[in-house]
Amino acid sequence: MIESQDRVEQFRTEIAEMKLRDPATSRERLWLGLGVALMAIGAVLALVAYLVSHQTRDPLVQNDALTIGLAGITCAVVGGALFLRYSIASFFRFWLARLIYEQKAQTDRVLEGK
Amino acid sequence: MSIVDAAALDPDAAPVENLLELRGIRAAYDGIDVLYGIDLTVPRGSVVALLGPNGAGKTTTLRVASGLHAPSAGDVIVAGRRINGARPEELARCGFCLVPEGRGIFPNLSVRENLRMMTYGGQSLKHIEEITMARFPRLRDRRSQVAGTLSGGEQQMLAMARGLATEPALLLLDELSMGLAPIIVEELYEIVAQISREGVSILVVEQFARTVLGAADLAAIMVHGRIAKIGSPDELEAELSTAYLGA
Repeated sequence: MIESQDRVEQFRTEIAEMKLRDPATSRERLWLGLGVALMAIGAVLALVAYLVSHQTRDPLVQNDALTIGLAGITCAVVGGALFLRYSIASFFRFWLARLIYEQKAQTDRVLEGK
Repeated sequence: MSIVDAAALDPDAAPVENLLELRGIRAAYDGIDVLYGIDLTVPRGSVVALLGPNGAGKTTTLRVASGLHAPSAGDVIVAGRRINGARPEELARCGFCLVPEGRGIFPNLSVRENLRMMTYGGQSLKHIEEITMARFPRLRDRRSQVAGTLSGGEQQMLAMARGLATEPALLLLDELSMGLAPIIVEELYEIVAQISREGVSILVVEQFARTVLGAADLAAIMVHGRIAKIGSPDELEAELSTAYLGA
């Protein structure tokens, strides 16, 4: 058996080096990806709607093209909202961390100056 | 209930490092809460007994600690690091070992094959067999026997042997005594005490409280998903009936 003292130290080191994924971060990344995908789908649907309406004089098919176009707009708006929501959350988190760091550095500078 | 360490029991004692800490752990199954803010610590090299009646949330606490069940709130801290979200296999590889309720062996494989399954960590089968046979001499003559045909006590020994083969630093034991004769249980807890003396920190969950109190350094009683009482085994022994019967 490994000496218990060494074993615990080894255990501590391995736990400290273990890579952890925050489930909340993965979820946010998923929503962000979904937002981008929806925006892309919206653009594709708009193009499809244009092509469908351009190649026909039949009002029924043109109505279908209108529906596809509106679905594209909806996708793009929802996707844009999701992208904005989760990219802003990520940006503000970074900004807050930066602010805290700056404040701490400033406090250290003031204390050193005294 | 506040977090308790050994210093709380002996004010003159030096501060003790905790290998496992659960802080404000809440957990649920399908939206139904089963743990309501568990605070518990396992100081380095000690045996902590988590006692309580059936359905108190003891096994869920172990599952949360070992990464098998994600807590809905709270922190799991191992060796000073918050490890919420860690994969159980990674924890096991580091030396955080859970011996689950119901033994967790492969009943259709032989004893040797069961031990061979523990060579994933890079240790040789020979080394694992040496550790096992030194600790559980009774398994020496059963090496070729199919594990499902062993007696209940021997199966439990094999389950523990599989856990100990990885030379864990932190060992979680779930209901060691389940379905076993009292004399076997006594033998198993002597082994637990011996493992603890070698420096392994142990958290043991047990429904039959008096069987484990002799081997424990600290004990906690859990009722309805909450820690009702933490203290030394002597302190808690008198309160067991009250806690279990809810009087």
